Amino acid sequence: MTEPLLEAENVAYAYPNGPAALAGVSVRIEAGSKTAIVGPNGAGKSTLLLMLNGMLRPASGAIRFDGRPLAYDNRSLRELRRRVGFVFQNPDVQIVAPTVEADVAFGPVNLGLPPDAVRRAVRDALGYVGLRGYEKRPPHHLSGGEKKRVAIAGILAMEPAVLVFDEPTNTLDPASSEEVMELLDELASSGRTVLVSTHDVELAYRWADSVVLMEHGSVLARGPPEAVFSDHALLASARLKPPALLDLYNELGLRGVIDRDAPPKSVLEFTDRIERAMHGHAPARDRNGRIYLCNADLTGGDEVRRLVERGTVDHVGAMGTRAKEFANRERILLDYTYGVIDKCILKALIGENSLIITTGGMVEHVHRRIGEYSAESGRALAVIPVREPEDASLAKDDRIPI
Amino acid sequence: MYEVLEDFAQTNNLRETSPGLKLFIGLASILLCVSSPGPVAPLLVAASMSAAVLALAKIPARFYAKLLLVPVSFAAMSIVVILFITGGGAVLLEVPGLPLAITADGANLALLLLARVFGGMCSLYFIALTTPMTEIFDLLRKLRVPAVLIDLAMLTYRFIFILIEEAGQIYRSQVMRLGYRRFRESVHSFGMLAGALFIRTWESGESLVLAMDARCYDGKLGIPSDSRPVSVPALAGGLLYLSAVLGVSVSTGGVVLV
Repeated sequence: MTEPLLEAENVAYAYPNGPAALAGVSVRIEAGSKTAIVGPNGAGKSTLLLMLNGMLRPASGAIRFDGRPLAYDNRSLRELRRRVGFVFQNPDVQIVAPTVEADVAFGPVNLGLPPDAVRRAVRDALGYVGLRGYEKRPPHHLSGGEKKRVAIAGILAMEPAVLVFDEPTNTLDPASSEEVMELLDELASSGRTVLVSTHDVELAYRWADSVVLMEHGSVLARGPPEAVFSDHALLASARLKPPALLDLYNELGLRGVIDRDAPPKSVLEFTDRIERAMHGHAPARDRNGRIYLCNADLTGGDEVRRLVERGTVDHVGAMGTRAKEFANRERILLDYTYGVIDKCILKALIGENSLIITTGGMVEHVHRRIGEYSAESGRALAVIPVREPEDASLAKDDRIPI
Repeated sequence: MYEVLEDFAQTNNLRETSPGLKLFIGLASILLCVSSPGPVAPLLVAASMSAAVLALAKIPARFYAKLLLVPVSFAAMSIVVILFITGGGAVLLEVPGLPLAITADGANLALLLLARVFGGMCSLYFIALTTPMTEIFDLLRKLRVPAVLIDLAMLTYRFIFILIEEAGQIYRSQVMRLGYRRFRESVHSFGMLAGALFIRTWESGESLVLAMDARCYDGKLGIPSDSRPVSVPALAGGLLYLSAVLGVSVSTGGVVLV
């Protein structure tokens, strides 16, 4: 087993005049992982998270970062907090400055960066969360989702290796929650370690690759989400219920409709399973739909709009905040803003064409994901890149007339 | 009201004008109003500042009139008192049966005072409606006001809105449970509101410290601001305007130095 990046070993803590908030908790966070700490209110999730960047000091036990136990002098704490960024549950608590720009600059300024570096950090962080152009706005003029993104940008500006989110989607509407979760995915895919606490099992099941189930200040279970959430008794003892997808899968398995082997993570996977169970095989179709892929950093809006207007694509999805900004700017109506790849594969399988707009490293991710799916399912799906304007003529030849 | 004022400061047509220039013109106008011995100069300031607010910054007239009503009603009340208690000069009006009279000097003083209040308020609103608070912080920093004061002002400004929000929430929840139906209840409920607000303020102060610590607080707040250059015609226009007002002020009553 590799050395964990962040580790809590047998940590105990009690608030003054209170019962034990944590009673011997051990957690290992691997570098580059997406971990969800799941538990009901008052399970000790926040207390544990506050320990990971030294905001609270455990009464006994040890917290280790990069293999070394935390030191609690001011210098070490500052260094630790730069590397382990903490995003509070309530952005109003975290946002301290009167403008978005000044708030995002708070961390870098206090780290003593020179003015130019501060400005660069602010610009990059705001660009990352898709809030460029909001620099001069006062925080009380922002919506809940925007405030959350400002809070995240404020932490990103310090360029931490680990990002800790306390209840990231609490009090947000579904669309804003999805945007925040997608942002978390983007952060994780760029190599950062992301840790969230939540009582939303659906979210944890879909998003996390590792789950720690907590209740009454101790860890009930840890492991991959499909294993942890399949145990009804365990979930019930933590006052939680299983995710709908997994519940349905387990019940169908018990009735003998499908074989129970590895639980599906997504609607796509599940649909395929049921189809196979019903027909005994994946029925061959005359033609699968095509998936167009557009890199918003390289492609002009006209190119993409033409695809949509001509009716070449039936559905459009965007991944990542920059891609959504692009779609917004170019007035392209989006059908999917989350779970985009799976949705487009599902549509391709019923013969409809779709377009995925995305940026940067996510382009590679789309290719990989669809390639993997094609290999696994034995159904070849074509990904057609939408070319950048300079070789637009080439792209035209590429396109098969319908 | 507080949010509307803020909104206009953020979105008005003079938003991109240099905040330094706006502040300079506004403050200089106030000084000219207060120091003017005659009522003409302050009235001129009131008229021109209102024109700037309405025509240049494009603030709706109705909203502006409503704003002005607040200080003017205060001024009107005090001026009634001044009208009657200041003596000297010819008697203009006597209240029958009471030892009260309006004299010429009293009337002049009242008029001057009203003009000064009016001119000063128009100038102040000119600043408030065209310059967001946040830009004034930048300006204060450039003027080398001690960082402690600015940081404190910035935090205060940030938390005013959270405090108002909290107070509003508590108040609404009290009203919903009929907390303000009778006078006795009102007094009691208001006390509860103040107490709850105090505790919440205390708590948010503590969580503020926590939040700032979590973000490596080292005694610094805010960023080095980018400066917006003052346009030469705007500066020239402002100076021309101020000297015109000064000229009117001097010609209608001389300079008051003492």
